[in-house]
Amino acid sequence: MRCTKVTVSRDHLLDPTAAEWSSVEGEALKLDATPLANQPSEYIKASRDQKQIGKVRNLMVQAVHTGTDILFRLSWEDANKNVEITDNDVFPDGCGILMPLGPGDPPPIDEMGSKDAPVNAWFWRADSKDSPHNTIARGLGTTQYSKECAIQARSLWGEGAWAVVFARPLAVPQQKDETIQLAPGTTVRVGFAVWEGSNGERAGVKSFSKEWRELTLDA
Amino acid sequence: MAEPSEQQKQERSKALAAEAKSQKTQLKHSKRQVAMVFDLNKCLGCQTCVIACKTLWTRDEGMDYMWWATVNTQPGKGTPRDWEKMGGGFRDEEPQSGTLPTKRDFGEAWDFNYEEVFFGGKGNSVHLQPSGDPDWGPNWDEDQGGGQYPNSFYFYLPRICNHCTEPACLEACPRNAIYKREEDGIVLISQERCKGYRFCIEACPYKKIYFNHVSQVSQKCIFCYPRVEKGVAPACARQCPGRLRFVGFLDDESGPIHKLVKQYQVALPLHPERGTQPNVYYIPPISPPRFDAEGNIDESKPRIPPEYLKYLFGEPVEQALATLKTEMAKTKAGGKSELLDMLIVYEWKSLFGPFTRDPTEIEPRKA
Repeated sequence: MRCTKVTVSRDHLLDPTAAEWSSVEGEALKLDATPLANQPSEYIKASRDQKQIGKVRNLMVQAVHTGTDILFRLSWEDANKNVEITDNDVFPDGCGILMPLGPGDPPPIDEMGSKDAPVNAWFWRADSKDSPHNTIARGLGTTQYSKECAIQARSLWGEGAWAVVFARPLAVPQQKDETIQLAPGTTVRVGFAVWEGSNGERAGVKSFSKEWRELTLDA
Repeated sequence: MAEPSEQQKQERSKALAAEAKSQKTQLKHSKRQVAMVFDLNKCLGCQTCVIACKTLWTRDEGMDYMWWATVNTQPGKGTPRDWEKMGGGFRDEEPQSGTLPTKRDFGEAWDFNYEEVFFGGKGNSVHLQPSGDPDWGPNWDEDQGGGQYPNSFYFYLPRICNHCTEPACLEACPRNAIYKREEDGIVLISQERCKGYRFCIEACPYKKIYFNHVSQVSQKCIFCYPRVEKGVAPACARQCPGRLRFVGFLDDESGPIHKLVKQYQVALPLHPERGTQPNVYYIPPISPPRFDAEGNIDESKPRIPPEYLKYLFGEPVEQALATLKTEMAKTKAGGKSELLDMLIVYEWKSLFGPFTRDPTEIEPRKA
């Protein structure tokens, strides 16, 4: 997967409808259901059906950088717009980007890192009013939001589809231990996930790109 | 990157499951267990326990629809509405799927026209009433009960979180946010770890967990642990005017809890078939006799159908009621009964085991 260098301003690209996105080469990813067998809860394993998990199976991912900032645009078809938690049994839509936090080989993507190999997720949820979270995980069920968050997001639902743009400075030196440090001309591993609120998807119950992919940032 | 084989995947799943299980075992370990016994023969449905809890714990934002302590008329739909039909718990140690009660099922917090009636000059013309047209509330079917006149019957069932020995909520949480305190077995939800996923609410067979829509975390009865730590009984127990809520450690052989649950076996958990081993126990209600077709008292048949009590408390309810009746016959004949003396509660503080301190003696915690 390629992260193209562009000369358009970050603020402009933050708009999911910005015309420039239509000329950015993207990758259409097939998503899979997360494996029920690995859920860190016997209740989830017993109460869910593998076939019912992971309603969203197609995700378009575009990535660009401006030399100082990186932007991802995630878009997927979704006839059900789930934005507010209006009741106890209502869940919002969401999406996330996962990258290893440290050097070396991360564990398989569906294990959400390990004690020694933490992973960094950029997490957007439809009810969070475009305030995404920077999260760190060291294994299944361990994600924690960091206090600081250098990520921005803008989202839009229209004509049966979500488009969410994430933006962050490539380097965030003040959060070395909490968020991935990126640079032009390098390659990082990356993965994606989508939660379909109308299907009760939350936590590890979601659809995801089931292997790490390589994302190369233009020099 | 090479795709792992099916066998490798299965082995890895097993290893992850074993690790998760060992974490859960640690989280539900406790050295001692506090418990409560509620004597249903003494509950008069006054809701004082409910208000004691409400005023102490659930006044913050997002908590307006929460009632950690409830009292409902049985038979009845309960709180939340029809909670007994919402699944959860375990069968043969396997977790059972459950559903999420809605805000309406719990009975939403109604808005009243206080302003209009008390301050708007309409005190003589407008009734104090909830806005809208509510058709359910946390105590909606009060005193409806069951049976046909003249054999109609009802009793009150106070409920709190059962602080189970095998908590279905703890087992369900994928974030290990729920744990039992080692020193007293109180089940708590870490408000820092909870992310509001609500699997615990699905899994709890008693539906005693609420979702806070403002802080977006799950919340429930905490057995007044800050009071318990200072030797003060939980507010619902201390405020109960009926002297029916016993508090203490299950293993304290000198205390009433141990005697009622273990020695006399007259206190039983609610719906034990749900497999969570609750630590709230009930003295089952003793029935008045039935009237026969001619209107004469028929001592041979209890007014509350024994099947209904078995549905609530399991088979041992028969023996528990038999024990109570034997003890009552003993005192009727002029004898003494340690069990009945204990249930009468001549001395108010005898309800509270080691938790007899007066809360006014204690310096409040600085906020």
